[in-house]
Amino acid sequence: MRGIRVLESVCRISLRRVGTAGDTIMAYLQQRSPIKTWWENVRRYRWHAGLVAWVLHRITGLALLGYLFVHIWALRTLVKGSAAFEAEMQLFTTPFFKVAEWLLFAVVLFHALNGIRIALVDFSTQGAYRQRLLLHLVYGIGVAMMLLMGVLIFLDPFAV
Amino acid sequence: MRSTRSRWSSYGWYWQRISGLLLVVFTIGHYVTVHWTEAAGHSFESSIERLANPLFQFWYLGFVLLGFYHGVQGLYNIVRDFKLPRVLLVGIMGIVIIAALYFVYLGFDTVLTVHEWKHLP
Repeated sequence: MRGIRVLESVCRISLRRVGTAGDTIMAYLQQRSPIKTWWENVRRYRWHAGLVAWVLHRITGLALLGYLFVHIWALRTLVKGSAAFEAEMQLFTTPFFKVAEWLLFAVVLFHALNGIRIALVDFSTQGAYRQRLLLHLVYGIGVAMMLLMGVLIFLDPFAV
Repeated sequence: MRSTRSRWSSYGWYWQRISGLLLVVFTIGHYVTVHWTEAAGHSFESSIERLANPLFQFWYLGFVLLGFYHGVQGLYNIVRDFKLPRVLLVGIMGIVIIAALYFVYLGFDTVLTVHEWKHLP
């Protein structure tokens, strides 16, 4: 009789444990996915030009910090002497790296021009009242300089 | 404590803009001197010619320092916008700051030891 009572209580405790674990798992599965919440927020935002520029400024900024590490690491080859350095630079004259260099210039250019825009909005008396003009200038000057750099990189007109 | 913190973050806001504007000047100079032609940026001779010049050494050391200051400060501004646990914030910033300090050392070492490696074949 006693054995059955012990078995009964063990079963009841185990069942309760399974129940609690199940509750925990169900609660975990039923909570909102952070990615879904993020995506719903992103869809709810008004994607006006200033917000686009803000997001692009952050993304390009992170990319440039990463590139600063890569750039210093790549130029470290100088320490190994002429042959090693020239071999590495040969790699950077291939079409793939020329296009990559051009895209890198786009990143640098946007971050620089938009940075100047931010400084003008924050520091100048007129900047905050000429937002539309400033944004048009950022993208206009950006596209023009991008084309100019394209000529310099792919045609190399000043080569001696 | 709160007032001290907001005072410091306003300094960060100000110097982020000043260092950014300085970096624009540095970057224009960098592109004009190094990337005007392909040969200027990609040959060993033109590189050692520049790096042996004290003015250019000064230029590059400032560029590296300012770049990492602006970059790390910018990353901190981004990371701070997410409500991360304090451990994660300190962890991320700690790793990036240590890496940045090592790469500042690496950049300085490359520039300042030019007399040692410029004759290597």
